[in-house]
Amino acid sequence: MLEENPLKRETRRHFFSRCGMGLGRVALASLLTDGALWSASQTAVAAGPLAPKPPHFPPRIDHVIYLFMAGGPSHLELFDYKPKLQELDAQPTPDSVLKGKRFAFMDTFSKEKPKLLGTRRKFQRYGKNGLYFSELLPHTASIADELTVIHGVNTENFNHGPAKCFANTGSFRFGRPSMGAWITYGVGSPSQELPGFVVLQSGPRGPRGGAALWASGFLPTVYQGVPFRSTGDPILDLSRPQGVTERAQKQTLETIRELNLARLAETGDSEIATRIAAYEMAYRMQTSGPELIDFSKESRETLEMYGVEAGQASFANNCLLAARLVERGVRFVQLYHTDWDHHADLSQPLDDVCREVDRPSMALVKDLKRRGLLDRTLVIWGGEFGRTPMGEAREEGKIGRNHHIDSFSLWMAGGGLPAGQAIGASDELGFSPLDRPIETHDLHATILHLLGLDHTKLTFRFQGRDFRLTDIKGHVLRELTG
Amino acid sequence: MRASTLRNFLPLLLLAAAAAWAQPADPGGVAFFESTIRPLLRAQCLGCHNPGNRSSGLAMDSREALLEGGNRGAGAIPGQPEDSLLIQAVLRSGDLKMPPAGPLKPEQVEALKKWVGMGLPWSAAPLAKKKPGTTHWAFQPVKRDAPPAVANAAWVRTPIDRFILARLEKERLPPSPEADRLTLLRRVSLDLTGLPPAPEEIAAFLADSRPDAYERLVERLLTSPHYGERWGRHWLDLARYADSDGYTIDSPRTMWRYRDWVIRAINRDMPFDQFVIEQIAGDLLPNPTEEQLIATGFHRNTPSNFEGGIDWEQYRVEAVADRVATTGAVFLGLTVGCARCHDHKYDPITQKEFYQMFAFYNQADEIDHEDDRPDYWRPTMEIPTPEEAVRREAFRAQFRALSRELVQYVRALARRGDLAEPGKDPGLQERVKNLRALRRSEPKVTVALVMRDRATPRENYIHLGGDFLRKGIAVKPGGFAVLPPIETGGGTRLDLARWLVSPTNPLTPRVTVNRWWQHFFGKGLVETENDFGVMGAAPTHPELLDWLAGELVARRWSMKEIHRLIVTSAVYRQSSKVRDDAAEVDPYNKLLARQTRLRLDAEIVRDAALAASGLLTPAVGGPSVYPPIPEGAMSVTQVKREWPTATGADRYRRGLYTFFWRSAPHPGLIVFDAPDATQSCTRRVRSNTPLQALTLLNDEAFVEFAQGLAARLLREESDDGARLRRAFLLAAGRPPSSVEQERLQSFLAAQLDAFQTEPGTAAELAGQLGADARDLPRFAAWTQLARVVLNLDDFLTRE
Repeated sequence: MLEENPLKRETRRHFFSRCGMGLGRVALASLLTDGALWSASQTAVAAGPLAPKPPHFPPRIDHVIYLFMAGGPSHLELFDYKPKLQELDAQPTPDSVLKGKRFAFMDTFSKEKPKLLGTRRKFQRYGKNGLYFSELLPHTASIADELTVIHGVNTENFNHGPAKCFANTGSFRFGRPSMGAWITYGVGSPSQELPGFVVLQSGPRGPRGGAALWASGFLPTVYQGVPFRSTGDPILDLSRPQGVTERAQKQTLETIRELNLARLAETGDSEIATRIAAYEMAYRMQTSGPELIDFSKESRETLEMYGVEAGQASFANNCLLAARLVERGVRFVQLYHTDWDHHADLSQPLDDVCREVDRPSMALVKDLKRRGLLDRTLVIWGGEFGRTPMGEAREEGKIGRNHHIDSFSLWMAGGGLPAGQAIGASDELGFSPLDRPIETHDLHATILHLLGLDHTKLTFRFQGRDFRLTDIKGHVLRELTG
Repeated sequence: MRASTLRNFLPLLLLAAAAAWAQPADPGGVAFFESTIRPLLRAQCLGCHNPGNRSSGLAMDSREALLEGGNRGAGAIPGQPEDSLLIQAVLRSGDLKMPPAGPLKPEQVEALKKWVGMGLPWSAAPLAKKKPGTTHWAFQPVKRDAPPAVANAAWVRTPIDRFILARLEKERLPPSPEADRLTLLRRVSLDLTGLPPAPEEIAAFLADSRPDAYERLVERLLTSPHYGERWGRHWLDLARYADSDGYTIDSPRTMWRYRDWVIRAINRDMPFDQFVIEQIAGDLLPNPTEEQLIATGFHRNTPSNFEGGIDWEQYRVEAVADRVATTGAVFLGLTVGCARCHDHKYDPITQKEFYQMFAFYNQADEIDHEDDRPDYWRPTMEIPTPEEAVRREAFRAQFRALSRELVQYVRALARRGDLAEPGKDPGLQERVKNLRALRRSEPKVTVALVMRDRATPRENYIHLGGDFLRKGIAVKPGGFAVLPPIETGGGTRLDLARWLVSPTNPLTPRVTVNRWWQHFFGKGLVETENDFGVMGAAPTHPELLDWLAGELVARRWSMKEIHRLIVTSAVYRQSSKVRDDAAEVDPYNKLLARQTRLRLDAEIVRDAALAASGLLTPAVGGPSVYPPIPEGAMSVTQVKREWPTATGADRYRRGLYTFFWRSAPHPGLIVFDAPDATQSCTRRVRSNTPLQALTLLNDEAFVEFAQGLAARLLREESDDGARLRRAFLLAAGRPPSSVEQERLQSFLAAQLDAFQTEPGTAAELAGQLGADARDLPRFAAWTQLARVVLNLDDFLTRE
C-alpha cells in the first residue's frame, strides 16, 4: 500500500501544531512576512495528494495517453487479417464455434443462425516486420515500425457501458476506481499546475457510462479524471468572472490568502495550509490553462500533420492537446472518440470514423517522438471490445458486425515497447485467441509495471479488503516489457 | 459381474448403500480413516472446509457434513468415487480444482478414492474445532454499562461525557474549553439543519442570557423543517439516491418522491425501526399506504442498465446483489458483498448466507427478459403531481361526459328503433370517434419506482463464483449463523426488515449511532463505519458505543433524542482548536480532547452561500431542480441531456434538490466530494483541491451569490463599516477581528477605486442582480468583497 510520505506528513503536522499555538496572538502584518509560515504552506503543496510519489521500482514511462475508441472498433476491418474468413464468407457459422457463447442482441442471433463475414477491406503489410493494416488506416500503417499491435485480447462483458467500465476499472460493475485514478494515486503527477488525470472527448456524443469511466471509486476524489472541454476554457470555471480584471483577481486571491493565513495561525489546522496551497495552484492554473490551449505557437506543419482546424472541436484537436498536456507533466490523459458501434453498416460510417481518427493518431505518435516524449510516454489505441466474425444484417442491403468479446485487437506505441511487432494472435476466423488470451487485467498489470508499479502491491483498503486495479488477476506481459 | 447378476444384486447393493449412509463401515475402515484419511483432510481440506469457514458452503469435519455437501451439492457419494465431487475435485478433471495450492500426490488421490469406495468410514472423534470469529465484539449482544465515574464531574453535561472524560482522564488529558457562543451556534446550526444562522438568530442567541439558551436553540433546530433536509441528505448517501438510471442510457427517473418521504419521516422523527421497516418492506405491511409504498424506493435507487442487446437477468441480479451489499453496509456494518463470489475471507459470512439474504430480495417484480422492455422500470406506482392530477381529473370528467352522451345517444337511437344498423349512423360514428381520440390523449402521469414482489416466485440458488449463469444448490431466505436467527414465516422482505431492527440484533443500533456520531465529530467511534467485522477498526470507546446503541432502542428508536443527547454534551460543545499537548498523545484526536474542524459537505457549501447571499429559496421538497451549471458539463453523456436552467425561485434551492445525473453529475457537487450514487456511500471523503478554489472563485453560481450578498449588504446596512461586519458575520458566523476588518477595508477601497476608474467592468460584474444598482462601481466593489468572504476558510469550515 502506498502512503503519503509519513515523514513529510509528520513534519507538516508537527510544524503547524507548534506554530499554530505560538503565533496565535501575532499581528497579521508580521504573519505575512513570516517566511516559516509561508514555506509551510509550500510544504503542503509538496506533500499534497497529487505530488509525485516514488514508484515501487524504476519506471520505464512517466505518462500514458489512452486513445479510447468507444463503441468497439472492428479488429477484422482494421488490424486482424483473416483470409480464411474471407474464404468462408457467407457460410453458416459452425456450431462448434458458437457453442456456449453468449452475445449481445442474442435474440437477433437466435432467430437466424449468423453467417460468417469476410472483410470487404483490402489489407497490406507494412514496416520492417510486415504488420497488417487495412486500407482504412493508411496513416497509422505508415508508422507501423513505431507500433506494437496486440491481437487476441479479450474482455468479460458484451454491453458497451459495462465493457467500457471493465476496460477502465477492471470491473464491469460501476463504482470502482479507474486506471487513471489508480495511477495518480500510486505515483502522483509531475504537473502541479494541471490535473494529474485529464479526460478529453470527441465524436457525436459522450461515451456510454460517462463519469463512471474516470471515477475515483473508493479512492479519494482528488484522483478522479477531470474532463476538459474541447472549446472555450479547457477546465470548468477557469476564467475570471466577467468584470473582474486580472489585477482585481490577484487582489482577491491575496486577500483570501492573508486572511486564511491568519486563521491558520489562530486554529493550527493544517487543512488551512492545504487550502492556501490549493488557491495558489488554482491561480497558476488560470495562467497555465489558456497557455495550454493556445496553439498559436505550434508550427503550421504540426497543425497540418494532426489535421487541427482552429476553433474546431475534434479528435485531432484533442490529440494535439494530449501531447501538450504530457509535455506539461500531466500523468494520464484519456481521449474518448465515440461512434465505433457498427452493427448495421461497415461501409461509409466506418470510413468516416477512421478518417477522423487515423491521421491524428499517427500525428500524435510522430509528434511525441519529435518532442522527445515518446520514450517516456505510452500511447494506447483501442476500444471496449471487437466485433464478431459473423455478419449482422440489420438493414436491407447492408452488413455490420455484433459486439465480440473473445478476441479483438489494439495497438500501443512508445515507452520503449518492442515496436514494429505483433503480440498475441487470434484463430483463423478471428474469433478466439490462438493461444493464451491477453486479458484486460494483463494490460492493466503491464501498464502499471511500465510506470514502475507492481500491480499486486498498488492496493487500497476499502471495507476491510485491499483492492487492486487488477482485482485478483493480471500478469505483466513480458513480451511487451522485455 | 455380468449385467444380469448385477440386477439380482441391486436391491442388496442399495441396502448396503443405505446402511453406509446411516453409519460408518467396519472397524478396518475406521482404522484406514484414522491412519490415512484424517491426516490428509486435516492438512489439505479443513483449513477452509471447517464448520466455521464452510468454504463454498462445505464442511468436511464430519461424515454428515460431507454428505450434506456445500454450494455444489453433496461432497461425496459413498461407494461411488467417480461420481463424487471430492474425487473430481482432487483429480482436477472439471472446473473445480482442489486443493487450490496444487494437486495432491497420486497416492493421496488413490487413498481418497479407496475411502469413498469403502463407503466413507469415519471415526467418532471430532475433526475440527467450533466456529472461529464468533467471539468478535460486534457480534455480541449490546451491553449497557453504567456511565463511569470521573474526577472532573463538573464538566459533565450528559452521560456521554462521562465515557469520553473517563478515557481522557486516564491519559491525563484535560478536555478543551467550551467553544465560544458564536462558534457553537454556527456549528450546531450547520450540523442539524445544514444552514448557517441568520443575523437575527445570532442576535437573539447572543441576547438570550437564560442558562438553557443553548438547549432552547437545539430544540428550535430539531423542529426546523431543514433538519429533515440535512439528515435526509445523509440518508440519501446511503440510499445511493440519484435522479437518473445510471449505466449506459442514464434516463431521468422519478425518485424525488422517495427523497421527500425521507425528509418528512426524519422531520417527524419517525422511529428508526419503523423508518427501516417501511423502506425495506413497506409494500408488505398490511394495507400499505401510498407513503409506505414510496418508502420502498430505498432499494429502487440501484442503477439500471437499459442498453440495447443486454441480458436483462444479469442486471437484475446486479441490482439484487447491490441490495444485499447495501443492507450489509448500512444496517449491519458488514462487508456482506464480499461473500458474493466465495465465502468471506475474514468474517464468518458464507457464500451460502449471502444467497440466503439475496433470496429475500430476489422476488421483486423487476423485468428479466427483452420482451418486457417497454416496462423497464417495473415495479412502479403512479403518483401524479398536483398539475398532473388536475389534468387527469379534467380528462376523466371529459371522458365521463362524452361517455354519458354516447350512452344517451344510443338510448335515443334505441328508442327511435334505429339500432338495426348503428354502425351506419353518422352521429354515433362521430361520437365513437371522438371518444377514441380522447382516450388516446389520456395525460401521462409520473410514476415512482417502488418494490413489489412477483406472483410466481423465482428460484433461489447459489451463484457459483458470483456468476448468475452458474447455478449451485438451492437456498431459502435466511440470515447469518453468527447473528441471531431471522424469524421467517414466509421468508419475505418484511421478515428481514423486522430482524434488522429486532431487539436481539446487536449490529443495527450500533452501526446507526456510530454513523450519527461520525457526522457530529468527523469520525465514528468505530472509524471503519461500514466494517464492524474482524478487519474493521476496534471502537475507541466501546462502552459508549453500546450505551448509545442501548439508549437508541430504549428511547423508542428516536433519532432526534439521540441527536439532542449528542449536541448538548460537553464533548460536542468543546472548542476545535488544535492543542499541542493533545496532539502529542492523540495525533488523530480519537479521544476527543477537542472538537474537529470539518469542511462543509458539497450541498452545504452551496446552501451556506445561498443563505449568506439572501437568495435562498427555502422551500422543502418537490421535483429536482436545475440551477446554473458550467457550460460543457453535460457534454459527456451518451444520450444528449437537457439542462433547462431555472430562472425563477428554483434557481436558488438547496443543493440536495439539484438534479443528479449519474453520468454527468453537477460539477459543483462532485468537486466537493458528493458521492456518485453508484453504490451506497457510508462516509464522504473531504478533499481540498484547486478545482474547489476555481469553483468558489469563478463559477457563475458563486458569482451570483456574491452579487446577492452585495445587494443585501447595500440594502440592509447604511455605513460601510457595518456592512463589512455584516458580510463577515453572514459568511463566517462571527464578526471580523480588527485586523481582518482593516484588511477587508483596504481591499474594498482598492476595488472601489478600480471600478470607478473603469465603470465598464463594474457593470459586467454587477450582472443581473446589480443591474438596478444606483452606484454600479460601489455595487461591484461590494460584490468583490462578497467573493472574498465566500472563499474564506472560515466560510467553508464548520468549526
